Amino acid sequence: MRRILLASVLAIAAVHAQAGDTRVFVTNESGDDVSVIDAATATVIGTIPVGKRPRGIGTAPDGSEIYVAVSGENAIAVIDPVSMKVLRKFDSGPDPETFAVHPNGNLYISNEEHAKASVFNPKTGELVAEIKVGLEPEGVAISPDGTRAIVTSESTNMLHLIAIPEHKIVANILVGARPRAAAFSADGKTAYATSEISGEVKKVDVASGKIIGKMPLADDKAKPKDILPSRDGKLLYVAGGRANRVFVLDEQSLEIQHEIPVGNRVWGLALSKDGARLYSSDGASDQVSVIDTATNKVVATVPVGKMPWGIALHE
Amino acid sequence: MNLPRALSFATLAALGLMAKGVVAQAALEVPLAFVGEAGSSAQFGARQGLDEAIMQGEFLGQQYRLDATPDTAVAIISALPAAGLAELARQHPNTPVLNVGAADDDLRDQCTANVFHVLPSARMAHDATAQWQQAHPDSQVSAQAWHPEFEKYAAAQLNKRYTAQFKLPMDDHAWAGWAAVKLLSDTVAREQSAAPAVLLEALRERLAFDGQKGVDMSFRPNGQLRQPLLLVEAGRLVGEAPVRGVVDIEDLDSLGPSRCEAGAK
Repeated sequence: MRRILLASVLAIAAVHAQAGDTRVFVTNESGDDVSVIDAATATVIGTIPVGKRPRGIGTAPDGSEIYVAVSGENAIAVIDPVSMKVLRKFDSGPDPETFAVHPNGNLYISNEEHAKASVFNPKTGELVAEIKVGLEPEGVAISPDGTRAIVTSESTNMLHLIAIPEHKIVANILVGARPRAAAFSADGKTAYATSEISGEVKKVDVASGKIIGKMPLADDKAKPKDILPSRDGKLLYVAGGRANRVFVLDEQSLEIQHEIPVGNRVWGLALSKDGARLYSSDGASDQVSVIDTATNKVVATVPVGKMPWGIALHE
Repeated sequence: MNLPRALSFATLAALGLMAKGVVAQAALEVPLAFVGEAGSSAQFGARQGLDEAIMQGEFLGQQYRLDATPDTAVAIISALPAAGLAELARQHPNTPVLNVGAADDDLRDQCTANVFHVLPSARMAHDATAQWQQAHPDSQVSAQAWHPEFEKYAAAQLNKRYTAQFKLPMDDHAWAGWAAVKLLSDTVAREQSAAPAVLLEALRERLAFDGQKGVDMSFRPNGQLRQPLLLVEAGRLVGEAPVRGVVDIEDLDSLGPSRCEAGAK
């Protein structure tokens, strides 16, 4: 009886491990491909050629597809995360830099050279809406409830807060020079953004569109890019760019709690659903760092393609 | 009989405007002047900057124009040679004058309170060249503010925007013209004011401008804009100054003097 029970427990564990295999998809901006990492073994299990200058990357809400902004081809490539094949590509408007995936599955894309954000249905490739924003739009974030988007415009130094589904700008928030990335808190009430040139993090009250906190990252070389809240909302992870570190900030005070040395020019970040693993793309080191968020230590570095840019998880 | 009717009409009109929020949200007008040759690259650059300022103003509530006279402008962009610039600054002592045309070291040494040099000085170019030659003794480089092949830090995007509009490569004067308008619009947006006195103080004290050269730029005590320079050999971009391995690449003040000469006002 006991043996049978143990055997069935092991069997369930084995099935679970297979179904729950986490894959980490990384765009290689200079390599024109996507590296696929098996999270359990921290090894590359596939490389998918996607086209010229892949940058932004994201996962469909149901996990069925991975999307890649192929900037040099004005297209979004759709990847099957299981077979690791490109299923199709669709026209995304000019120079798609990055995007966020709405809970309804639509992609909100920043078209860097055309001062607009465009909304696409990735199932049909259909353009749903266009929103005029400032110069050199880059970072895109969508609130968890899907009612707000933020698009950063790098050369007009603004966060555009956009109402969904109206697709109207409800606030333009002036921030430090060259805002690059933004993220919402789990409850959608707060947003966070990085400014690359001013080297700072800003915290915004979404309802009022007002800045409620800011913190320079001390190090002049920081040039921060991606920013993410921890799953419990108590911390913020910031990719420090040329500081070659991931900064861990207290969400309330924005004070730096930890600095995690990673590879050179760390730009992209992704966090596992359980919040235990943080992945960083270290652009100039051609590697991904795997961080244990309990200890704030790098537990593995995985060599990937040339100039890794963005990261998406399939769990 | 006519007068009260006219008054009540005006009152009603005003109430109507207020009800629509038009009065409360009236855009801040920002008249700028460009003094220099029409059709010059400095003017084209300033027009590129104007387009971008107008775009920012549409979101943040400012209205920019570049056709004001120096007497009516809140800031003046000068593409004049040294003597003309100095005279213009004397005639308008309470208005910021942004120099996008003259590289003369003397102008910087004079430390004129209302003059801001966006174009790098001759001495900065000299220092940049010397730094490069320390690392590359046989090279024949010159130093420039900008280069049409410059791609890093979104320079490629700016080069593309400029060339798409003017069908010309962006040169130093075009970059300086663009940067002058852009750093003014950034300052107006942050200060929520276009009063010349506010601009003078903010430009001196609080500027952190993204000139698409990868660092935030500010003005030195002598009015010169701190900035990296680009090193060019036989027309091709070969490097950036401050030169890595020779000086600290963050040390923008390794290029040219910062202080006012003793005795200058």
